[in-house]
Amino acid sequence: MAFLEISDLKKRYGALDILKGINLEMEQGGFLVLVGPSGCGKSTLLNTIAGLESITSGDIRVDGRSIGGLHPSKRDIAMVFQSYALYPNMTVAGNIAFGMEMRGVPVEERKKAIDDVAKVLQIGHLLDRKPSQLSGGQRQRVAMGRALVRDPKLFLFDEPLSNLDAKLRVDMRTEIKRLHQRMKTTIVYVTHDQIEAMTLATKIAVLKDGVLQQFGTPADIYNNPSNMFVADFMGSPAMNLLSGTIEKQNSGLSVTLTRPEGEPVKLPIAPGRENLEAHAGRQIVFGIRPEALTDPDGADRNAQTLAESDCLIEVVEPAGSDTFAVIKLGGKEVVARLRADARIQAGQNARLAFNLDKAVFFDPQSQARIA
Amino acid sequence: MSSVTSSNATLTAASAAQLSQGNSARWIGRIAIYGLLLIFAVLYLMPLFVMLTTSFKTMDEIQNGNMLALPQAPTFDPWIKAWGETCVGLTCAGIKGYFWNSIKMVVPAVAISTIMGALNGYVLTKWRFPGHTLVFGLMLFACFIPFQSVLLPMATILGSLGRFGMTLQNATGLSFGFGNPTINLVFVHVVYGLGFTTLFFRNFYEAFPTELVRAAQVDGASFFQIFRRIMLPNSLPIIVVTVIYQFTNIWNDFLFASAYAGTGDSMPMTVALNNVVNTSTGVVEYNVNMAAAMIAAVPTLIVYILAGRYFVRGLMAGAVKG
Repeated sequence: MAFLEISDLKKRYGALDILKGINLEMEQGGFLVLVGPSGCGKSTLLNTIAGLESITSGDIRVDGRSIGGLHPSKRDIAMVFQSYALYPNMTVAGNIAFGMEMRGVPVEERKKAIDDVAKVLQIGHLLDRKPSQLSGGQRQRVAMGRALVRDPKLFLFDEPLSNLDAKLRVDMRTEIKRLHQRMKTTIVYVTHDQIEAMTLATKIAVLKDGVLQQFGTPADIYNNPSNMFVADFMGSPAMNLLSGTIEKQNSGLSVTLTRPEGEPVKLPIAPGRENLEAHAGRQIVFGIRPEALTDPDGADRNAQTLAESDCLIEVVEPAGSDTFAVIKLGGKEVVARLRADARIQAGQNARLAFNLDKAVFFDPQSQARIA
Repeated sequence: MSSVTSSNATLTAASAAQLSQGNSARWIGRIAIYGLLLIFAVLYLMPLFVMLTTSFKTMDEIQNGNMLALPQAPTFDPWIKAWGETCVGLTCAGIKGYFWNSIKMVVPAVAISTIMGALNGYVLTKWRFPGHTLVFGLMLFACFIPFQSVLLPMATILGSLGRFGMTLQNATGLSFGFGNPTINLVFVHVVYGLGFTTLFFRNFYEAFPTELVRAAQVDGASFFQIFRRIMLPNSLPIIVVTVIYQFTNIWNDFLFASAYAGTGDSMPMTVALNNVVNTSTGVVEYNVNMAAAMIAAVPTLIVYILAGRYFVRGLMAGAVKG
């Protein structure tokens, strides 16, 4: 049985449906990231797990025990808040110990627990300071220390890194991941940053408008998005979504993409996508990630179905590690990701390789995945 | 801005002349502003000055001298007399008893109304319930009710409480404070002050981060533990504002005091002072009257001096953050 089970969870504010029947399962020691644009209900979902907001219907079970109706303090959870929520009137040690104090843990035991956590997070020298005397990163550590010291069944993180500057955010991200690997804790983590989601998660749940769009491993979400929203939301630069037409010939299926000038590009479709036959002659949305569209030398050697085509490069954006090129295809601007030293120039034709193993197809009306 | 213009102006001789012109204009403006401020400061301090000097003069000096003159032979006798000997109505034991009456009334009234206002503000912002805006609106309404319109209904209620106290007295031998004039005044001031204290605390707690309350909930703190350990320790500015406001209002109140405790041994300072000054027998002892008035004003002055900077800061904090 799963460690964390959320079944058919609904949350309504008056006439407004915030969560429309969420189902999630999570094994012990996993790292679940709830990701989505603002207003998608991810924070509300976290708050219902924490017990800070009531649920309208459905159930939440942790380790086989239903916690849906329990007070936050009875759920055996700890939470790290976006603003850290450190008590300004208490010292760092007081902040970390407050939860134990409220639970009547004896002073010696508290002291030992504080010391242990301080060692793990390297905040031993800060214990006597007030939160106002700490830097952003230090506050973040104290907030995590306050959660860690309780040794709860479930850790909840509500966008914990969004108040940090870019460099510190990357450092703390690594630190959280290391902490999770070492402590083997079960974590539910909310973020709107898809890179955070990809790097930290063992499972990602993508939400939009209170509906769970897809739930799976990071690789699954990235490579097999279940609809156009997930495909577009995950990954940076975003997946190219262009309209094309499916054609069926003797040699097999192919997809045709229009171009502003010259012949349309005709690409063969990798085997195993036979259900596209039903869409022959119809418009579909062809999705390809920038890294699957590259210069022939940089293309994946293990790819089964590669197609090459000359494309007019409109813009070249060197990013140091890679060079991004913008071309016009299928009525859209398409981003290709080339090796850093690829010899291309804006306004000139260059040969690009399409890795069709990685291509995905969507229905333009329902936006759902076809193949 | 002005430093930028002046550095540009030094580039040419012509504009240097302009600069000196601008300088002198600024000087005139400064003098006018400070002059006006000085005049008004003197105007406002004049009564205090007259009171203070008069209270240290002998009666001879008052009758024969200038009101604004400094005392020729300063004496503390008027203060001593006001404190321990002057006649309030028919009893001549000074105002000290009434001073303590006021203290006994003000301290509990301020403490209770502040604590209750803080609790109200806490509930109205962090434990919202359906209709919380209506409740707050009604409490705000209490701030706009004029004193006079409360007088008669309150007298009726206090009368009933007094009769209830009598009944208790007859039944058990103890009245439990029902009908006691000081306790009546505490009750009146708490009820009347609740609207203001709730307003202060609600606006302060509105800007208070809700995540702190949530964190404390997850940490297992109860309703009152959160209030005592998280809210109150972080409310010093607004507590000071509320205490100053309530203290000065209740200490200086004359209407309720004279209506509900206007006679007898339990009258507060303000009523007693009025009775000292309004005496119709003998010579009017201005020096004693002034000393008595100064004694009546000292507690509020002390509160302002000790906590005044918090008062301004607290009002500002609420305004900017809210």
